[in-house]
Amino acid sequence: MLSVASSAAPLAAPLRAFDPGTALRTRLTGFAGFLRANGFALGGADAVRVLQTTLRTGVLDGLVLRWSLKALLCGRGDEWRRFDALFDSYFLPPNRTAFTQSESVATSALDTAQAATAGSPAEPAAASGQGLAEDAGTGQARHGASREESLLSTDFRDLNRCEDARGIEALMRRFAQRLRHLQLRREARFHHGRRIDLQGTIRRSVASGGTPLRLAWKERRRVRPRLVLLLDVSRSMSPYSFFYLRLARALCAELADVYCFIFHTRITSVAQALRDPDPWRSQERMHLLAAGWGGGTRIGECLSEFNREQSARLVHSRTGVIVVSDGYDTGEPRLLAHSLQVLRRRARRIVWLNPLLHQPGYSPQSQGMQAAMPHLDLLAGGADLADLERIVADIIESLR
Amino acid sequence: MNEVLGLQRELQGAGYIAEPALAAALLLMLDLGRPLLLEGDAGVGKTEIAKALATVRATRLIRLQCYEGLDVHSAMYEWNYQRQLLAIKLLEHDERPAALKEQDIFSERYLLKRPLLEAIGCEQPPVLLIDEVDRADEAFEAYLLELLSDYQMSIPELGTVRAVSKPLVVITSNGTRELSDALRRRCLYQYIDYPTFAKELAIVEIKVPQAAGRFAQQVVEFVQSVRRMELQKKPGVAETLDWAAALLRLGISTIDDDGAERILDTLSALIKTRDDRTAFTRDVVARIAASC
Repeated sequence: MLSVASSAAPLAAPLRAFDPGTALRTRLTGFAGFLRANGFALGGADAVRVLQTTLRTGVLDGLVLRWSLKALLCGRGDEWRRFDALFDSYFLPPNRTAFTQSESVATSALDTAQAATAGSPAEPAAASGQGLAEDAGTGQARHGASREESLLSTDFRDLNRCEDARGIEALMRRFAQRLRHLQLRREARFHHGRRIDLQGTIRRSVASGGTPLRLAWKERRRVRPRLVLLLDVSRSMSPYSFFYLRLARALCAELADVYCFIFHTRITSVAQALRDPDPWRSQERMHLLAAGWGGGTRIGECLSEFNREQSARLVHSRTGVIVVSDGYDTGEPRLLAHSLQVLRRRARRIVWLNPLLHQPGYSPQSQGMQAAMPHLDLLAGGADLADLERIVADIIESLR
Repeated sequence: MNEVLGLQRELQGAGYIAEPALAAALLLMLDLGRPLLLEGDAGVGKTEIAKALATVRATRLIRLQCYEGLDVHSAMYEWNYQRQLLAIKLLEHDERPAALKEQDIFSERYLLKRPLLEAIGCEQPPVLLIDEVDRADEAFEAYLLELLSDYQMSIPELGTVRAVSKPLVVITSNGTRELSDALRRRCLYQYIDYPTFAKELAIVEIKVPQAAGRFAQQVVEFVQSVRRMELQKKPGVAETLDWAAALLRLGISTIDDDGAERILDTLSALIKTRDDRTAFTRDVVARIAASC
């Protein structure tokens, strides 16, 4: 404690007496904090590294400082692209005040939201009893109807609703566990098995003077398939979209290799927002991503955008793609068929969940559905938890 | 600034055109002794950076190509079992005590050094290129982290091997999998984009010296327009160079819409998937060529 206090003391100094060295140091270390407030993944040690770097590069050449700090503090592509604007707004005086102010307002608003709702995590335990029994479909439909008048600013509070949260979590955990049993063709050394690992056997035989007394085995390694979820959040899907979003979040919590996208007329990645450990911040981030939520659908265009931008990166021969959509498409059905065909070639399996499938009087006659059918490995329903419960086995089977 | 420009010039001498920002990051990497993580699309020249750096520093380049299922035995070390067995047979008639024999069998002579062990064993710090780290699985990434933090590794039979010198580590990733935050935090970071017109022109001029002046400009202009199209696989810098060489080989020295037929014949150097190839009809090529 003492050492911390003494090392922190010089930082407080500029308040008392102006010392250019300390002022400069405070300013530079403050930059790491400023970036952290803007969502960079930085820790306390990074402020020290900023100083170390600056000692080497000097501060007189702005460009070298910028390039060096950029290499030091960025960790991923989106940070890389945002860095220059943030650097300007911090080190160039006129912009900075406006920018940091808006930033601090945003964070404080978040903080109060968190404080106000801090009591709610206790609720799920009480609610889970009847929560399981309550039909998720009807609950969502009620919320869907109330959202009709405020389509532009979707209410993401549904994302944190606690009723049947337990049920969803339990289902996703079971799903993840069963996925674990899928076998793929990778081999690893194993303590028993059907095939002899020759190299391992020789290695073991060294201990017994070259006589292979004990055999080593090879077995297929179990590698879970990667999952890519594409959720339709257009208006026709609105009774189901929150339900699926919550499923997706529970699944993200169980498995690391899940990537989730929402689409309507455009397609957006929500994986990062869903993974945010703080549910209210996650809600906040969804708000930013959801422009166009509840509008029309252009499935074909969204899928072809996905193929173009994401699939080279995400979809490989172990990937199962799960599309959740009712197939009501305002776009060109031919484009939908083509992009599914392209995706099919890359992915291991494509599963299409259509929540309307088991509704009385519904048959998949819409143009979009007709165009999609030939390219699917499995078409299943899934309007609510009980419905999904029934088809989990089929989904697992089709991902095999 | 002079240092940055100096390194930039040296890299150019080694055949690599780098932006000053990249040169600054490389300098920082040499200064701080931290690994450099390079991300970007395939074909933007990430691997070349490591090669150029090795040339500039006049040191060895040790390359570890990652793939799914890469394990300790192929990345770090393995015992040469066959030689050990032979040695055991030969030592059977040796009168020395067993403990000594064992020591002999598990000595460095029977150790097969894989890239990582080799890199930390060099007198002069080599450039260690860990290529496409996103293809290896998470377990290997964790192992790598351990190596990158203390530059030592433990071999049960031999004990701990400490780095003789700290290698210059360059890690590349195509982003097929999200890397762990821990790895990102330990590295300096550089995102490499497709080159701008001026940069690509400089690259073509340095790598394909026969393509001079107007022709080189047209080639680069053509490739840059192709990259703006919606393709499954955008051509990288290597494709540009191949294509320029292919054009020269066929004796094409100017790109215009009259020569669209002949350009079509060479497109196999530039366009690598069937779907993309069907998008390039004679008209499309003629239109792009006319605008160059």
